[in-house]
Amino acid sequence: MFEILEHTADIGFRVRAPGPAELFARAAEALFALAFELEGVVERQSCELSAEGADWESLMVNWLSEALFLLDARRLLLPRFEVTEIGPRRVAGRGFGEPYHPARHRAKLVIKGVTYHQLVVEQRPEGWYAQVILDI
Amino acid sequence: MQIQALDPYRFRIPRDQRRGMRTDVIVYASRSLIDQIRKDQSLEQAMNVATLPGIVGVSLAMPDIHQGYGFPIGGVAATDLEGGVVSPGGVGFDINCGVRLVRTNLTQEEVRPRLRELLNQLFRDIPCGTGSEGPLRLSNQQLDEVLAEGAGWAVRHGYGLPRDAEFAEESGCLPGADPDKVSAKAKERGRPQLGTVGSGNHFLEVQWVEQIHDEAAAGAMGLRLGQIAVLIHCGSRGLGHQVCTDYLAEMGAAMKRYQITLPDRQLACVPIQSPEGQAYLAAMRASANFAWANRQVILHLLRGSLEKLFGRQVRVELIYDVCHNIAKQERHEVDGRKRAVLVHRKGATRAFPPGHRDIPAAYREIGQPVLIPGSMGTASWVLVGTERAMQETFGSVCHGAGRLMSRTAARKGRNAREVQEKLEQQGILVRSETRDGILEEIPEAYKDVDEVIEVVHAAGLARKVARLRPMAVIKG
Repeated sequence: MFEILEHTADIGFRVRAPGPAELFARAAEALFALAFELEGVVERQSCELSAEGADWESLMVNWLSEALFLLDARRLLLPRFEVTEIGPRRVAGRGFGEPYHPARHRAKLVIKGVTYHQLVVEQRPEGWYAQVILDI
Repeated sequence: MQIQALDPYRFRIPRDQRRGMRTDVIVYASRSLIDQIRKDQSLEQAMNVATLPGIVGVSLAMPDIHQGYGFPIGGVAATDLEGGVVSPGGVGFDINCGVRLVRTNLTQEEVRPRLRELLNQLFRDIPCGTGSEGPLRLSNQQLDEVLAEGAGWAVRHGYGLPRDAEFAEESGCLPGADPDKVSAKAKERGRPQLGTVGSGNHFLEVQWVEQIHDEAAAGAMGLRLGQIAVLIHCGSRGLGHQVCTDYLAEMGAAMKRYQITLPDRQLACVPIQSPEGQAYLAAMRASANFAWANRQVILHLLRGSLEKLFGRQVRVELIYDVCHNIAKQERHEVDGRKRAVLVHRKGATRAFPPGHRDIPAAYREIGQPVLIPGSMGTASWVLVGTERAMQETFGSVCHGAGRLMSRTAARKGRNAREVQEKLEQQGILVRSETRDGILEEIPEAYKDVDEVIEVVHAAGLARKVARLRPMAVIKG
């Protein structure tokens, strides 16, 4: 689950999870949920993705940029993610879904990029937390 | 934050307001606009820009300024070509997002009775929205040619007339583009999108000329009252977005090597003359060329739509094409001496004065046409650049009305059908791929475009030429 964040020019989300693996999976799911109506998207195939970064923040930006590439270039709609490997420098996992089909799937918005603007990725006493602003 | 009013249209935030600022911020706004501007973080962002190494002159904010990421949208900053930095955040994800205005030989009276038909024809012929694909299937070689040649490539391959490319900023092609500096990923993302409008605030709008403020300038542009014109607003699509993503990641790592620290990570930058800076600029120019080719292909599709409806005698001629997300190498006089600088225009339009050699000969007496889209329910403006803009703003002005409301707030409590009906009562038909696409771009979500234009006109940065009213809008 995620919470939508308002921003004058852009859009963002906040996610919370017990650990970093779930946090990164939920964040990728939030990105797809903002871009498309995901109800009715069937898990027909899966797709691997991974990213590297210098710290948790750049790792999140690079991971979500990879997810966005799968959406915008490969035209895959992936409502569910699993993270199989995670550390502050590298994340790897899989997205599950199906190719975009204009007759069956409804777009919500085009995401141009993942920004560092007001970006937060941190471990808090109650669990892991991320806030991400997307350029749309 | 201390903001000093210099005159009714100029405000200054002095450099001593915050540690690290290397220069002042100058904001162009009216009293009421400055009150709106202060509500978001855009002025803090303009102050962050003032910390960039090698910034020349002041950090500038236009009256349509609103909060962006890194740079404010409506921000202009020039950096020294030798000792300064280049920042992909100063260009944005949508490299060479811009507008192109075309005139037709049709009148409002001829088009009004067939407006619905025209709207539907345009919606069929011109790809808009998510997942839309353009009419071209480009090979790797062809895509590299597009990146090197820009609008000229499209014209050479039958998507336009030879005259078209001449009437775009930089003739639709920035020299120094290197397709090899654009990643395979960026090429994959952008390849099917050449000739597509995209989504968000991008659109194609049929307009009529409602007011002429400068007969001579309007005459030079072939604009007369009641005439039909079309405004196309879009950029480099996924290709440019990925180029920005790729280089932001690279620069984030490289900044440590160059010992650059900044108040906002989205401002990531490297020295212009560094290998990373040169690579980004070569890729940015290639993306800009892709955007010009994109708008050129869309113009070609528009010609087809108009000919289908109004016959082959329809004339559709490009007035001008400007980019409003770009970094350009230019020469400007600063403190009495000519300097080579890199002008970052993030949501700002070049506005060169009469006599400048970089504008088409047809406009050399009047100054460069400046195209400012408003919201879909209000108006768009055509202006011309002035000498004052050269002296004060590196030849730059605003780029639009400027957002006031978040997209979420714009959607709240509104119904797309009601918005469409209200616009129809004003004689404006809208067709969008998504309901949200209509709601997020409602006129209330934007500042008053007339007030924004009044500021740049009264401040002497540009002169009013014509006001155009929308009639039919297609968008993603």
